[in-house]
Amino acid sequence: MAAVEQVAEQTVRERSAPGWAVVLHQELRDLWMGGRGLLLSFAFSILLSVIAYLVATNSALNFLEHRESVNVTLQVAVAVGGLLALLAGADAVSGERERGTLESLLLTPVSRSQLASGKLLAALSLWLAAFAITVPYVWFLGRGISIVGDALITGFVVGTLLAVFLSSLGLVVSLFAGSNRVSLSLSLFLLLALFAPTQLPSSAQKGWAGELLLRVNPVTAGEHYVGKIVVNGHPWSEDVSWLLSPMVAAVVFAAAVPLLGARFIQLRGGVSG
Amino acid sequence: MPAVETHGLSKRYGSLVAVEDLNLAVQAGEVLGVLGPNGAGKTTAIRVLTTILAPSRGSFAVAGFPHTRPAEIRRRIGVLPESAGYPERQTGEEYLSYHARLYGQTRGGARAVARQLLEEVGLLERRTSLIASYSRGMRQRLGIARTLVNDPDVVFLDEPTLGLDPAGQRQVLGNVQRIARKRGAAVLLSTHLLTEVEENCSRVLILNRGRVIGEGTVAEVVQRAAAPRSARLHVAPEHAELAAAVLSNTDGVEVGRADGQPGWLTVVFAPPGEHTADGSPNDAVRTLLDSGVTLLSFELEGARLSDAFLAMTEAA
Amino acid sequence: MSRCRAHRTVLVALVAALLLAPGAQAADPAARLSVAVDRARISTQLGHKFVFRSTITNRGSTAARGQIAHLNVLSLHPGVYVDPEDWSSQRTRYLDTIPAGGASTVTWRMQAVNDGDFGVYVTVLPNSGSARPPATGPAIRVAVAERKTLNSGGILPLALAVPGILGLMVLGRRLRRGG
Repeated sequence: MAAVEQVAEQTVRERSAPGWAVVLHQELRDLWMGGRGLLLSFAFSILLSVIAYLVATNSALNFLEHRESVNVTLQVAVAVGGLLALLAGADAVSGERERGTLESLLLTPVSRSQLASGKLLAALSLWLAAFAITVPYVWFLGRGISIVGDALITGFVVGTLLAVFLSSLGLVVSLFAGSNRVSLSLSLFLLLALFAPTQLPSSAQKGWAGELLLRVNPVTAGEHYVGKIVVNGHPWSEDVSWLLSPMVAAVVFAAAVPLLGARFIQLRGGVSG
Repeated sequence: MPAVETHGLSKRYGSLVAVEDLNLAVQAGEVLGVLGPNGAGKTTAIRVLTTILAPSRGSFAVAGFPHTRPAEIRRRIGVLPESAGYPERQTGEEYLSYHARLYGQTRGGARAVARQLLEEVGLLERRTSLIASYSRGMRQRLGIARTLVNDPDVVFLDEPTLGLDPAGQRQVLGNVQRIARKRGAAVLLSTHLLTEVEENCSRVLILNRGRVIGEGTVAEVVQRAAAPRSARLHVAPEHAELAAAVLSNTDGVEVGRADGQPGWLTVVFAPPGEHTADGSPNDAVRTLLDSGVTLLSFELEGARLSDAFLAMTEAA
Repeated sequence: MSRCRAHRTVLVALVAALLLAPGAQAADPAARLSVAVDRARISTQLGHKFVFRSTITNRGSTAARGQIAHLNVLSLHPGVYVDPEDWSSQRTRYLDTIPAGGASTVTWRMQAVNDGDFGVYVTVLPNSGSARPPATGPAIRVAVAERKTLNSGGILPLALAVPGILGLMVLGRRLRRGG
């Protein structure tokens, strides 16, 4: 027992990692060493393989359809990566609450905002893994038409902005949801609502109201920007105004996570102590 | 300075009183048993003292820090919550290392602390097994180990023996004693098992509907509760009627129904204050012997904390 | 009698001058501009990018203001759908004032998104929307060779390898934790 105390004293004097980094490290371990992240990545790779195979074996593919196929692959990666980050965020607090492990975390000296920040960063790792898996597919599909570099950079930038926004959104929902099921359901519903405008007929999308809706919605705005770069070959600066809403959404929601986490990470959802 | 001190501590949820006007002081090395029926406010009181919940009124200090400095309090306490869950996909060693790091340990230090504590609670051989494979008793021991990762000054244990078999309960309570004795930590033990409190706690606090209805050593609480005591007597069968008559005429003694077996009597002794003379087992025995009754055995029952607890909570 | 005829002639000339003057003035900038390109033929492959320059020269005596240069693409053979927007995203350029005797050079960046034979040309017209025909440069003949842009045979190893590797990792993790 004396040895424990000596080790305790000595190591506390040494440099130890900040709370959010400790939380991040453990969350990443749980996600990836625990197997859930690998399983999700495996499922995602099957999806991409099917899409890439169908596209590549279509010998009638013309040049523009070829560009479109690269665009589709990238859009799927951004969408699925964003979905995974959203779900990880949605499970972050309500899941701990339901599994009964939240109270132990709240009893440590790590602040609630650091707890939230560590979990947010861990959720983003699912997007990064999805993107890494996408790289060889985009390389294979895009090398014949010289758009690999542009496609990957654009996809990474837009995908990261959307992943930050969506995982933060999921985490905020998780703070207030009464149960994990409500958190996951509500988060999925919000994501579907964000994707819904893409299904509007093109005539509706072209009017001033339709364009405003597409621009304000970070998901549709990001998708639009990727399409313009990959399919239409626009230079990066030409449509950069479409990145405004994804950037604002990412910054606002990412900033909200530690602020709201400090107040609303409680044993019961949405209740202040 | 007490390790835990509260002044007028209250917690309300709207009009619902969870804890009302709690005043207590717990010294280092002391084990305070916190008793109460379901809904008495034990868990709420512990959650307020451990900074999970904010008090509605009053103040408290834990490990020398006031409630206005919750992070400092959390650094110095260890808590085993009543409904603690454990991450199924972590090993015992990972779990303890993680919590040690949350308290500021480096990676290497956290691993060393984890192994030491696992050895203390008898889980070293299972350190690399997933918690999902741990039994209930093992999880409780793991939970107790977790309360000690930061070498706390005050330990809060909320129903630590819940769901354990007698052997498991004994093991957990043994750990409780070691925590107080060897580490000099103050321990607040919330439990339903009154025998646990009697055997392990130096003082007891009884809560009911958020209010303190009894406090002190076990003996003090029992005496204050004025709980009635009873006894079973075995006399020679031919003396049974005489014994019953003699005892009936003794002040403060009531003869209960015999349980059917020849020579067996049940006697109830009135608590102090209810009569001018309290019923004393010694007096009863002396009276019987003076009357020539052959007393074969005498088993005193009651005068236990359980009786005091029931008397207090029914009256409150 | 001859005096009356002379007056009539002057009157007709004046009326004609009044009627024709605005149009003549508007037509002047367009009529004074000529468009030249730096090459007559371009050979490239499907998907490749290429560049050419057009020079707009003001041969008039006054400055040409508000001129707009516009790029167009068409297939020289029927049956090929061409969307010029796919070839170049910047098909319309608003020119600075070209002084008399001066010239303005515009660089056009394009990508060959169809294979076949195509004509690419540049027109210049004023922003007043004059009804006069715009100045048009010579067409560049662009020959785009077909190119197989996707090797379908190579996809199968990739489509199997990536899930395969990840699947093995999942299995390995499960086996290691299974105990």
